[in-house]
Amino acid sequence: MPTILRCKCIIVGDATVGKSSITQVFHSDGSHFPKNYVMTQGVEVLVKLVNIPETSDSVEMYIYDTAGKEIFSDFVKRLWDHPSVIMVVYDCTSETSFSSCVKWLERVRAQSPNTQIPGALIANKVDLEQRRIISPKKGQELAQANKLEYFECSAKEMQNVDTPFFYLANEFHKVYEERAELFNSLS
Amino acid sequence: MFDVALSPAGAQIALATSSDEKHPPENIIDGNAETFWSTTGMFPQEVVIKFQTLMRITNVHISSYNVKKLKLEASETEDSNKYDTIAETELEETDSQLQQEEIQLGEKRAHSLRIVIESGFDHFVSLHKVVVSGQAMHH
Repeated sequence: MPTILRCKCIIVGDATVGKSSITQVFHSDGSHFPKNYVMTQGVEVLVKLVNIPETSDSVEMYIYDTAGKEIFSDFVKRLWDHPSVIMVVYDCTSETSFSSCVKWLERVRAQSPNTQIPGALIANKVDLEQRRIISPKKGQELAQANKLEYFECSAKEMQNVDTPFFYLANEFHKVYEERAELFNSLS
Repeated sequence: MFDVALSPAGAQIALATSSDEKHPPENIIDGNAETFWSTTGMFPQEVVIKFQTLMRITNVHISSYNVKKLKLEASETEDSNKYDTIAETELEETDSQLQQEEIQLGEKRAHSLRIVIESGFDHFVSLHKVVVSGQAMHH
């Protein structure tokens, strides 16, 4: 029987940066991009199984697509206990959404301050080249300063949406392997 | 008094919410603290140990790592879903050595014992050994 890890993936970022679009494109294997905006209230949870290459293991990702509107923040925080991995999303055409990233990240990390939580920083809407304000370099620097892995994607064009999820699933699997070795060395 | 949570004594694992076949839940009732059951992500997690018969149990000793909040529940009948909470405890974090938690129960009747791990100090926790002191009840 293969090992199946369970991973609680919290997706945060300002309203309208595309968190739900990213989640739904990934969840539907690129067959569904929500064309109309529907504001997420509270949290929507989607589950998807990711296989870990070169092993028979897989990671079942419980994706917590979280409301970005501030009015829901007290409510959604209660659903963030024990985060496994974090995905912080910004819209590369919006300065405000970029400068909110650290705030979102800190809110999730505050749930388990002593736990190392793998994280990814996502620049979404990179298809809007003309309107882009936040350069790749700025994104990379912010990621590095906050121990996140940097990714660019376009949910609308279905480009590179899977990569950050695969990255996070792999990181979580690595943590598991390390811990299993640690447990083995005890007693 | 005996350790009634040993597989040679007829104890079995009835259910576990995590399964890595390299570290199966049976490892907690094999009497060996070197082998362990590892949880595989998210909380809560639980494991149910079913005794050979209805037991009178007095205390439980748990060897574990990174467990924070823990709850013990007992069921008196063989196939009931009715569990009563018999103990709740919060463990201290340890650094590179096992947590050793002794839980006194007074006297409780149990045909099976459910161990609920409500939270941990890390993503994953391990249970190495569970010793349940008790004896069979005679009717």
